[in-house]
Amino acid sequence: MDAGQLAVIAGPNGSGKTTLLQALSGLSLLASGSRIYQGSSELSLWLKESHYLGHKLGNKGNLSCFENLQFVAQVNETSVTSSAISAVLEKAGLAGYEYQHANDLSAGQKKRLALSRLLLLNKIYWLLDEPFVNLDYAGCDWLYEIIEKHISQGGSVILTAHDQKKIHELAHHHITLEFPEEVHES
Amino acid sequence: MRFGALVKRDVLVSWRKKSNIYQPLVFQLLIVTMFPLGLGAGAQTLAKIAPAVVWILALLSTLITLENIFKDDYEDGSLDVYVLSGMSLPLAAFSKATAHWLTTGIPVMLFAPVIGVLMHLPEQSYGVLLLSLLLATPIFSLLGTVGSALIVNIKNGGMLLSVLIMPLLSPVLIFGAGAVLETTLGNSALGHLLLLLGCAVLALTLAPLAAAAAIKVNLE
Repeated sequence: MDAGQLAVIAGPNGSGKTTLLQALSGLSLLASGSRIYQGSSELSLWLKESHYLGHKLGNKGNLSCFENLQFVAQVNETSVTSSAISAVLEKAGLAGYEYQHANDLSAGQKKRLALSRLLLLNKIYWLLDEPFVNLDYAGCDWLYEIIEKHISQGGSVILTAHDQKKIHELAHHHITLEFPEEVHES
Repeated sequence: MRFGALVKRDVLVSWRKKSNIYQPLVFQLLIVTMFPLGLGAGAQTLAKIAPAVVWILALLSTLITLENIFKDDYEDGSLDVYVLSGMSLPLAAFSKATAHWLTTGIPVMLFAPVIGVLMHLPEQSYGVLLLSLLLATPIFSLLGTVGSALIVNIKNGGMLLSVLIMPLLSPVLIFGAGAVLETTLGNSALGHLLLLLGCAVLALTLAPLAAAAAIKVNLE
C-alpha cells in the first residue's frame, strides 16, 4: 500500500475480515506469510507507525474519557498536553464529557472515544475493524471526514465495512474475502 | 514512563472498584471466624495452628484475585492497546504485577496481624509474619501474572489458574509458614526467610518473561 491510500475489506460474516486485520496489526502470530513494512518484517517499527482499533474498544470503564486518552498517550510514549487531549475529545464530539467515566457513555460515544485515539496518537497507518458500527449519522460523517483528511495528508487506512457507500467510493483498494469454493472433507 | 503509566492506571481502576481491595480481606475475616467455632477450643489450640492459618488465608485470599490481572484488560480490549503500543511485554507483565501487589499484596500483608490476633498468634511472631509476607506477596503477584496470562481467553479459568500455580506456590507457603512457626517455638527464622528471599528473586527474574510468552500465545 502506498502513502495516502485507503483499502476497504469486505466480505460475508465469518470470511476472516477481523482475522486479517488482527494479523496485519501484529496482534496475532502469522501462521504463514509475512508482514513487510518499509522492507522489513521487524514488528517494533510497524507498531510505532500503526494503530489498530478492533471490536473490543479498549476503553477502561471506570476511568474518565480524559484519563483513558492520557493513559493511551503515555503508554505510546507520545507527549501531549491536557489541552491537546481536551481538543481531541472536542473534535470527537465528546466536549463536556472529559470527566465522565467511559462506562457511563452510550455505545456510540464509547466508539467515538476509541476513535479519538487515532487523532491523539496521529500514527501513519490506521487499521479499523468495522469503525462505522454504532455511530450515528453525524458520527459516520465525522469519521468519513477524518479518514479523508488523514489520507490527504499522506496517511493510510485499512478498514472493514459493509454498506458504507461513501467510503467504498473513496477507496483505492477493494479487498473482498470469500469462503473457499468447496471444502474437501477427508 | 510506560511502566508508571500502566501501574498508575491499574491502581486507579482498583481504587475506584473498591471491591478489588477489600474482597480478600473480607474473605480472610469470614474464614478466620470459623476456626474457633469449628475447633471449639481455647486460645492454646488456636495458637498452635495460627502460623499455618494466617499464611494459608493470605495465600488463598490473594489467589481469588489473580484471575483478573489480565482478564479484565483482555475483555475490554485495553490489553490490545498496550500490547500494540510497542511496550515490551515483560515490562507490561511486571507493571501489572506491581499494580496488583500495591492493591492486593500490601493490604493482605498489613491485614495478616489482625488475623494473627484473632488466632492468638504469640507476640514474638508478628515481626517475622510481616517480613515473611513482605517477601511472599510479590511472589504471589508475579506468579499470578503468569497464571492469569495463561488463562486469559478461557471462560471461568479461575479453577485452572489455581491448579496451575498452587504447586509453584507451595514452597513459598512451606518457607513462609515455617518461618512464623519457628518464631512461636522461640527459634530463629532466618533460614526460612532467606529461602523465601531466594524464591522472590527467582519469581522476579523469570515470571515477567513467562507471562509475556503466555500473553503472546494467547492473543489471537
